[in-house]
Amino acid sequence: MKISRLSDRITAVIMIVFIFSFLILTVLEKKDDYSLSENRSLASMPRPSKESLSNGSYGRELEAYMADHFAYRDKWVSTKARIESDMCEKIVNGVYVGDDRLLDADISERNISEENISAINKFRENYSGTVYFTAVPTSSGVYGDVLPEYLLSNPEKNQIDSLYNAIDDSIRKIDTYNILKMLNDSYIYYRNDTKLTSYGAYYVYRTVIQKLGFLPSAYDKYTIKHITSDFKGNLYSRCLYNGTKPDIIDVYSYSGGAEITSCTAYKNNGMSYRKTLNDADFLLSGNMYRMYLGEEEPFIRIKTSVNNEKKLLLIKDSYADCFIQFLIQHYSEIAVISPEYMEKNISYFIDPNNYEQTLFLFGIDSMDNDKLFELLNK
Amino acid sequence: MLYSSLLFIYGFLPLSLLVYIITPESMKKNVLFFLSMIFCALNSLKFLEFMLIYTVVNYIAGALIWILRDKKILSAVPMLFGVSFDIIMIFMFRTKSFSFLRKNFHIPEEFFPIGISFFTLSAVGYLIDIYRKRMRAERDLIKFGLYIMMFPRIIMGPVIRYNTFKKMLKGRKSDLSEIGMGFTIFVKGLVKKVIAADTMYMLYNAVKSVDIWEMPALNAWLGMTAYLLCLYFTLSGFADMGTGVGYCFGFRFPQSFNYPVFSTKIRDFAGNWHVQIIYWFRRYLSKPLCELCRGRVYKKIIFILAWCAVGFWYRFDINGFLWGFFIGLSVVIEKFLGRMKLLKATGIIYTYAVTMICAVFLSGENVSYSLHYLLAMLGGNKVFADSQTFYLLKYYIVLLLICMYFSTNLFRNMLMRSGKTKLRIVMGIFSPLITVLLFAVCTALISYNGNSGMILMKL
Repeated sequence: MKISRLSDRITAVIMIVFIFSFLILTVLEKKDDYSLSENRSLASMPRPSKESLSNGSYGRELEAYMADHFAYRDKWVSTKARIESDMCEKIVNGVYVGDDRLLDADISERNISEENISAINKFRENYSGTVYFTAVPTSSGVYGDVLPEYLLSNPEKNQIDSLYNAIDDSIRKIDTYNILKMLNDSYIYYRNDTKLTSYGAYYVYRTVIQKLGFLPSAYDKYTIKHITSDFKGNLYSRCLYNGTKPDIIDVYSYSGGAEITSCTAYKNNGMSYRKTLNDADFLLSGNMYRMYLGEEEPFIRIKTSVNNEKKLLLIKDSYADCFIQFLIQHYSEIAVISPEYMEKNISYFIDPNNYEQTLFLFGIDSMDNDKLFELLNK
Repeated sequence: MLYSSLLFIYGFLPLSLLVYIITPESMKKNVLFFLSMIFCALNSLKFLEFMLIYTVVNYIAGALIWILRDKKILSAVPMLFGVSFDIIMIFMFRTKSFSFLRKNFHIPEEFFPIGISFFTLSAVGYLIDIYRKRMRAERDLIKFGLYIMMFPRIIMGPVIRYNTFKKMLKGRKSDLSEIGMGFTIFVKGLVKKVIAADTMYMLYNAVKSVDIWEMPALNAWLGMTAYLLCLYFTLSGFADMGTGVGYCFGFRFPQSFNYPVFSTKIRDFAGNWHVQIIYWFRRYLSKPLCELCRGRVYKKIIFILAWCAVGFWYRFDINGFLWGFFIGLSVVIEKFLGRMKLLKATGIIYTYAVTMICAVFLSGENVSYSLHYLLAMLGGNKVFADSQTFYLLKYYIVLLLICMYFSTNLFRNMLMRSGKTKLRIVMGIFSPLITVLLFAVCTALISYNGNSGMILMKL
């Protein structure tokens, strides 16, 4: 027999075995609804209906289902990240794969939403106390120098500056960009996530709390506990590139200082329950970062043993989760509002005018979401 | 569902192949038609509905032409009806014209019958061939349905004449070595699409991301090279995937491209680019026109005109038309200058330069963008290179060179011409391994989205 014919037959057999084994594995594999590594829910088996068959959405959903439940998906996707970052540009699914960290590569596509700016200004008009605003850069803002130039047409520094210029002058803006930039040799950002580490948050706290009228606590007053050294954050979830070292999550506790006396979370349906902060159970979920504040809720009220009758309203996104632990020494009550989880107007939860200070603390990437402050004003 | 999707590769393809193999010979044709219907239905039921109506309309038109074949004028009626039906359909879906028809038939805005540019050519060719009595009309609706709808052909499969197809249908045999050959071709196509075309697309987009008024000349050339390679690898990749699937089912489809990109003459570029499409336009457009108007000058004009039509077929706008016009024109000019002897290297360089300049029109969104791009290529922005150039070169140069190498016939010639049996044996041993390895790499690359979509053009 000619060699080429034999070789074709071998190809046929190998390919058929390869394809059918993955087909069978995909069919037999246990189907999860949720991917821990990608931190998202997976597509479910679509049900054929007249509508979905006729407009073709059934086929598309079936394709998505096949992709999400393909045998060894995680391994395939991390292999893809490896191949792509070695083969050409170091960008995989919009994530820049650096030598020692992952960075969000889509920063220049962000727009600071006009709706958000007017909502913040309107909030200020109806509010009797003082409003403070801090926009924290993402890791791409601080470490973005390594990104290729064509992705830096709209750097985060400019985004923060234009936001600060657009919001009302009576709002006190607190700059954290420069201090973080200065400290970029230290472990202030996670390698696999866009957010600050607790250490980075400590420096944000030092800057912010002085503006709020307090003396910051010294670093050596804190006891630091490593909760996990296995954290892989939102950037990892987007590309599953596993060549970057996993991150460490720390919790800071002030020895001999004030303590939390009560911490209550309120849901959108009016229900409330006692919440424990720094709940290690969440280390088992897809997003270990949730460990700081636990289940995402629109409103959390924290009362402490500080006896100064000072109350702070903190309006924040997830960048503030690890920041809250530093505030406990300064306020007798902290109201934490997360606008992204609010389904009801803010007045459903609290009256802002009961708080003499309001601090907005957001990652600059949240400002892109123009629905963010929809329910901030009455 | 495209050929480059997990659902097709690991679901539809193996299962349909299995079904096809276990069916008895007499039923195979019907099963293949049934499978093609499922393929269409998975895209959407609307698509299946459209395809069935389209097939039946052309079938009836063909039959009527055949019945009236002895009355020249009378038989033109069903021919004209069928051809205008096909042409109205392609215009309706590929352009914004005939929107009243869309409204009347309640066709949703987002519905696009994928592959319409290809099966329109097949159907029109079929009707004209019957009218010119080159063949008889098909009686078997299933056979004709397969010609239009067969799933290895429907997306970008080769455009072949009905007679050729019928012979293939009759003489098909699928055994293990045929399937092996099919998978090798399929993987070749998949690699072209997923590795070559998709990365070249990234390079092209990176170049395009800067303002056209600031684009350095070197970037512009880099971007256009990436564009042409991306287009070539997309079109030939899908065609190869279709051909490979065809082989698995026993159909020996011909190749669509014959290594056109880095030719030594513009003529070779034009002659080897999308071979069957060019052949179709020659057979059904230039030849009849040439018979009408004889004369050397007319011939040249018709040649250019046919290229304009080819270009128009790609994009359905003035940009595509201009691309075809310039390609046709350069071939004609080249012929006039034909006496000049050129070295191989200079031939490649000038062909490259001319095809790049022409490709600017095929790529741009509109004529003014194309002209600006051309200006950038010619150094009109007064920048030759900037930091982005070096960044892009640093990350893409290896891949670009590999893509350029495999877009030429150097590798194939090395395999074919080496009479040494040693190399043949080595290739025989390694080719299954290389095939399955590349297949795994492609699977990894499409694993995140589950597919690698259609880029640059909706054909």
